[in-house]
Amino acid sequence: MLHILQVILDWSEVWALFIPASILLYTKQPAIHKPVVLYIWFAMVINIIIDIIWKFRMILPIGLSSNNCLYNLHSVLTFFLFSSFFIGLKQPFLVKIKKTLPLIFIVFLLINFGFYEDFFDYWQLSSRLLSVEAILLLFYSLSYFLFKVNENVDVNIFTTDFWIATGLGLYVAVNFFIFLLYNELTIHMINFAINLWNVHNISYIVFNLFIAKGFYESGKH
Amino acid sequence: MNLANIDIRLFVVVGIAAMLLLFISFLLIFIFTQRKKLQYQHSLQALNEQQQNQLIEAAIKSEETERHRIAEELHDEVGAILASSKLHFHSIKLGCGEYNESIYNKARELLDEGIKKVRNISHSLHSSILQEFGLNEAINHFASKIAHESLIEVTTTLDHEHHYPMKNDISIYRIIQELLNNILTHAKATKIHIISEYTSQKLIMKISHNGKGLTQQRFEELRFEKNGLGLKNIQNRVIFLKGELHFSQQAADYEIDIYVPIN
Repeated sequence: MLHILQVILDWSEVWALFIPASILLYTKQPAIHKPVVLYIWFAMVINIIIDIIWKFRMILPIGLSSNNCLYNLHSVLTFFLFSSFFIGLKQPFLVKIKKTLPLIFIVFLLINFGFYEDFFDYWQLSSRLLSVEAILLLFYSLSYFLFKVNENVDVNIFTTDFWIATGLGLYVAVNFFIFLLYNELTIHMINFAINLWNVHNISYIVFNLFIAKGFYESGKH
Repeated sequence: MNLANIDIRLFVVVGIAAMLLLFISFLLIFIFTQRKKLQYQHSLQALNEQQQNQLIEAAIKSEETERHRIAEELHDEVGAILASSKLHFHSIKLGCGEYNESIYNKARELLDEGIKKVRNISHSLHSSILQEFGLNEAINHFASKIAHESLIEVTTTLDHEHHYPMKNDISIYRIIQELLNNILTHAKATKIHIISEYTSQKLIMKISHNGKGLTQQRFEELRFEKNGLGLKNIQNRVIFLKGELHFSQQAADYEIDIYVPIN
């Protein structure tokens, strides 16, 4: 039973994405959701490859048996797509900061992977990249709510973008410390790190459920 | 397992829990504040609506009182003076030629017409039929009067079976009156049909005619024009009754549907 549960959780980065993807098949999304829609399709391709590599790493050639660079790629794409989603909402609040953050992130990528880390590191994903991505996206998510608090209230506060911002906020809030310390944990406590990744997987399922709810609500209007 | 490992594990767990708690608290505060703001807006809106309804009610009541007063004065005073003038007129003795007699006859006709007009105005201002015999009879009487005066075919299919008098029958009657007057003045209809039906929840009235009527969109436009006083009155009475009013085009005919909840 536990083994089945573990298999389900291991593949959750793939199947969880099918929930919002299935809603995308029969609902048309507004233009402001385009970055999130793109994220779903990109993440699905990347995560399928990640999980296939993880499951078949023993039989794959040594050069192709690491999925760490794909996690880095996933992180970079996630940041740019979700930052463009929040900028696209056109909330007149901290606009300059929100538009500058992607540039700062590019500078960070160049410096980090130019001088300190290897994007294609065989042994470990970039904890620094994932945690910076998480904290910046958390800033976007919180700025969304801060703006909404001061805005005149609509009849429905649970709008489509509310679900997406909440899902993302929860996901990055839970995972910030996991990402930040993951490399350390894999060195000193590998079993704890593996178990901790289950927490990431559960939060990823929740994140996808929230996105699916956002897509569903948007399809209803 | 060394102490550093325990520390890092504790740090991760506490970190995750703290971040999660912070975000959830933030979210709950956001939802709570928005709910409060929404409730405040709703109560403000309800208060505005209540005030608006009270104003409409006061306006309608004062209008009815004024109509009643004018109707009574027309009937009891102007009507009485005209009737007395007629009696005096009858007692005039003529004997000075055919010319004078024709003038006398013309004056008598005019006096009769004046008395009739005053009576009609008095009745339309204050329908005693409505008070004595109810809405159906008042509508029937008004319809037959229109048909008689303007040679338009006005037919009615009124629900007598489930009909029972309502507190606001006078407002419904005024709406019908205003709508029929509008059809007569603007629509150039030759046939009008009035239907009423009572359900357990509401009274449904339908007026259909073959003239050039209004669509819902046109009605909304006209409501806000300066001269659309009649339509504004209709709308105010509908708001007062908490009812609904729909204008539509059905093939060659136009239809007006009025829904009034039964209280």
